[in-house]
Amino acid sequence: MASDRTNGDDYFAPIRRLLVGLLVLAMFGLFLLWRIDSPRVERFRAAVIDQVVPSFDWAMAPVTGLVNMLADFQSYQRIHEQNRDLRRELQQMRAWREAALQLEQENAKLLDLNNVRLDPNLTYITGVVMADSGSPFRQSVLLNVGARDGIIDGWPTMDGIGLVGRISGVGQNTSRVILLTDTSSRIPVMIQPSGQKAILAGDNTVYPPIDFLDNADVVRPGDRVVSSGDGGLFPGDLLIGQVVLGTDGRLRVRLSADYERLEFLRVLRAPQVEVITDPGTLIVPTGPALSLLPPAPDATAVEATDG
Amino acid sequence: MADAIQSRFWVGRLIFVLVMLALVFALLLPLNTQPRGWAAPDLLLCVTLAWVTRRPEFVPMLLVAAVFLATDLLFHRPPGLWTALVLILTQMLRARATGLRNVPFWLEWATVAMGIVAVTLANRMVLAAVMTPQAPLGLTLSQMLTTILCYPVVVVVAYALFGLSRPALGEVDARGRRL
Repeated sequence: MASDRTNGDDYFAPIRRLLVGLLVLAMFGLFLLWRIDSPRVERFRAAVIDQVVPSFDWAMAPVTGLVNMLADFQSYQRIHEQNRDLRRELQQMRAWREAALQLEQENAKLLDLNNVRLDPNLTYITGVVMADSGSPFRQSVLLNVGARDGIIDGWPTMDGIGLVGRISGVGQNTSRVILLTDTSSRIPVMIQPSGQKAILAGDNTVYPPIDFLDNADVVRPGDRVVSSGDGGLFPGDLLIGQVVLGTDGRLRVRLSADYERLEFLRVLRAPQVEVITDPGTLIVPTGPALSLLPPAPDATAVEATDG
Repeated sequence: MADAIQSRFWVGRLIFVLVMLALVFALLLPLNTQPRGWAAPDLLLCVTLAWVTRRPEFVPMLLVAAVFLATDLLFHRPPGLWTALVLILTQMLRARATGLRNVPFWLEWATVAMGIVAVTLANRMVLAAVMTPQAPLGLTLSQMLTTILCYPVVVVVAYALFGLSRPALGEVDARGRRL
């Protein structure tokens, strides 16, 4: 009896198979196009997201709020304990505040004496987080500000305290922030008291590791990590976090920004954004040609040991 | 009679689309922006596979392509690759759907599990072949495992909520053909 069905389908089967084949080919074609000409397809992606996600927003904001409220409700059970902790913390903070005020006054006086003009270009635009990446493999959030508000690719994004990520992908009304924890995030950083420069490389964990550190001996857990401003990528001296020693023995960074609740983010108007104009070329020294060969006696010694 | 069958057919498709929309919506909610060490199951894939093995007529190929291409774009996956792999997998399961109707559940589960493993590995291999940066292997494997483990749960929930079951003997489709 099962053959009845296949008989009925005979007219459509070849056409359907052809359609499946064409569709799969088209999808692979799109993937290859993305691989070859990524910026164009990514712009298309930004435009699609720009159309789709804001239309969800009327429902998204209340649901997110509700779920967060439920999560908060659980923490009310420990309210007494929390209150005591907060009071103690507040006491400590008052002392710090006093110190900070004094330092601020001193700093202002010194700046005035030296006639320093602060950079007025570092203003910011605040956006609300609309959605996250939706996949456990990508760490990014979508903001409700975009090209309409003058956002440009590559600008740094902070919450109230520390760096959160950088803009990557701008639509008309939305823009995407690649978080520091994403596997594709690489930020040049400086580690504060020692002045060591390194790269903060996201690897999809809560504490991103520090890469390309010149001298790890002078870096201790607890050191401050700030952006270094190398390569014209970011303005310097944006707070990122503190150095911690990971369980795997690598130096990692505990981020200052509160990744648990990203709600409002500041996009800094960075004055200088690196614009890539030419295709990648080999970087060669421009001065007189350097000899890459070791001196003659060494070469013979190497040959001797090889033989 | 024909009208009733026709409407049940469209209601089935509509339910599938609504389930997909709800899942995408839930995934996009910015509830947890911290990276985790394990990955939640890929419910979109799980639900699609459950539907396609049990009621292939509710999940037309173009709908699968549209849903997965849209999520490729929304979730920042390489566009097209995952869609193509899922399309191939659903077509293979669709071709076997009649045979899978009479087998015990564990065999259906095993077939689907093999499919999930195949697309996950194929995805990684293609990405490696074109030298695209990839997610950590542990994360991918944990998602594959949780997706496979989730399949029976999805089947039970789909049965309880939407009455998604294997076609009974003598049921006919929208064009009056025997299923």
